[in-house]
Amino acid sequence: MASEVFKGIPVSAGIAIGRTYFLNREAGTSIVRINIVPEQVPQETARLKQGFNAAFEELEVIARKVPRDLKEQAAIIDSHIMILRDEKFQKAACDYVNSRLINAEWALENAVSDIEKAFSRIEDEYIRSRTQDVRLVAGRVRSKLYGQSKSYDTKPERMILLAHDLSPADTIELKLDRIMAFATTTGGKTSHAGIIGRSLQIPAIVGAEGLEEIQDDDVVILDGFSGKLIVDPDAEELTHYTDLKQRFSEYYSQIKRNCYLPAETIDGYQMQVLANIELFEEVTSVIDNGGEGIGLYRTEYSFLNRGNWPSEEELYEEYRDMASIVYPQKVVFRTLDLGADKISPHLGPLEEVNPALGLRAIRFCQQNLGLFKAQLRAILRASTLGNVSVMFPMISGLQELQEVKKIYFDVREEMRKEGLPFNDDVPFGIMVELPSAVFIADVLAREVDFFSIGTNDLIQYSLGIDRTNRYVSYLYQPLHPAILRSIKYVVDAGHEAGIEVNVCGEVAADPYCVPILMGMQLDSLSLNPQAIPGIKRIIRQTTMEECKDLLKQVLSCSHVQQCNRLVREKIFTRFPEELMFYTSLIEES
Amino acid sequence: MDTAEDNICETTISLHNEFGLHARPAGKIAKAAQQFEARIKIGFDGREVDAKSILDILSLAAPNGSALRIQAQGNDARHAVEHLKNIFRENLREDG
Repeated sequence: MASEVFKGIPVSAGIAIGRTYFLNREAGTSIVRINIVPEQVPQETARLKQGFNAAFEELEVIARKVPRDLKEQAAIIDSHIMILRDEKFQKAACDYVNSRLINAEWALENAVSDIEKAFSRIEDEYIRSRTQDVRLVAGRVRSKLYGQSKSYDTKPERMILLAHDLSPADTIELKLDRIMAFATTTGGKTSHAGIIGRSLQIPAIVGAEGLEEIQDDDVVILDGFSGKLIVDPDAEELTHYTDLKQRFSEYYSQIKRNCYLPAETIDGYQMQVLANIELFEEVTSVIDNGGEGIGLYRTEYSFLNRGNWPSEEELYEEYRDMASIVYPQKVVFRTLDLGADKISPHLGPLEEVNPALGLRAIRFCQQNLGLFKAQLRAILRASTLGNVSVMFPMISGLQELQEVKKIYFDVREEMRKEGLPFNDDVPFGIMVELPSAVFIADVLAREVDFFSIGTNDLIQYSLGIDRTNRYVSYLYQPLHPAILRSIKYVVDAGHEAGIEVNVCGEVAADPYCVPILMGMQLDSLSLNPQAIPGIKRIIRQTTMEECKDLLKQVLSCSHVQQCNRLVREKIFTRFPEELMFYTSLIEES
Repeated sequence: MDTAEDNICETTISLHNEFGLHARPAGKIAKAAQQFEARIKIGFDGREVDAKSILDILSLAAPNGSALRIQAQGNDARHAVEHLKNIFRENLREDG
């Protein structure tokens, strides 16, 4: 029998071969209405009650296990318990069994729909979105109705976990030593599940549609490099992947051993390799993987997943702790980049036709001055050790930049008057991620201390494509001549003005792109911490001379496929052994 | 007639929570209300719901600054109203 392959987005590297287990399989399936006879009513209502009780007991256990520092998750789980214990909910479901003579599952679904209907009158987006909590609770009850136990808990061998999504409660509940890898049907590169996978260092893929078709206990290969999940692999595939897995683990331990060595080319050109992080906790993996500081701290996380804005004090404590942990290395705080796909739940989505072109990032901050200033104050207050930089996202022009600068200097002035200490020389930088900023990079360079090129957004805005949109994602081409010229232009304009230039998009973690960026003589790269050891190793094996040569060749290409082919050939012949352990943004042609 | 049933206590408070009565404060109130025997109702905007039910409270969708009426009926009505009043006043702030 031919093996079946599911394709998802790789979010955590590695290979796992094992048997599957689908977590809460029923949660995403359709619910069936079954008519019952009056004699069955007691049995069905008893099932419902047992379901509610079992779900309650399970949540109580989870609530006790929530680590203390996860206050937010604890509060969510608490309110789920309250919803579960709400007698009205259970009674409504039981009443449906009785009055309509239907099965427990369908009755539960009706009760949830009623609540949703009641909530739909609510104009407040935030409260209305809480019906989602009711759905989640109902899903937990439903899984109990089917009598599914968390059987991966008792299986002797480690499982490959499949799920629709992994929620905060799931991740606390998971017996992680029983899971060797996981795959979810939903989610993208930045979803919570991906962060979990990387921090646990187990292979993971997300957004793999159709996984529901896989039976529990099927043997699968999960390829965290390419995002493939192969069901019922044949002998040849098994041999190939067993071998790959073995070689990867050898390779991985080797690059990990050397990750603290500087990223210096054979001919002595040194590149600073920094980390992009999103969660405070990731700082440990920066240190573990030989990161030389934090080139991009995405500060959004503390503003998301909560019902209110964090206070200045709260932010200050977080930023101060971050700065002192990485000291003497630096940390670059990027100010709030909310909007587009990152929406605070209590703010609710704005009604925008085009969120990516809408009120986001710096624009959002300028219109929410109180919040913006609180963050700037917190960053400045955390700067006293001298290793803090501040960076502003989505700058589109000089006037905008000058307005932001004025706000920043006003904040400093206020703090000075209040006698609050801060470092006078905090480097002030901007993200260059809009084509407009690229073209006036020479003008902007005179106003700032450093540039960081955000290639993910730059590619999207330059090529006019949303890479999460599957109809056009094939157009996402990092080596498009327009992109290469843009990056080159910004680097040159920055250096002309005597400022440092960094690249912090995903291309910085792509082994095929890094040599080209090197050829531009960037000052630093910033990438996800797990990719640092591998990228440092590649840098250490190249020479600046060959990187410059490669750059010259790709810049002379007018066709993106020509660039891709050239780069794949050159780099692959250079590192044939290790490149199989990497995923690349560069399409195979 | 049971005299306890006549024991009615009522007060009006104003809600101070930036995001209104969402799941977390609603949970706190329902939890507190459940400790009492009295029947407790919360009224807002012409509607009245059971204070012991988080779902009921959520369905009020009361925004910040709303005037809420708390009414309790039963033996410990007075105590219940006082207690809930305190919770609204002291406990629903979320900064920290």
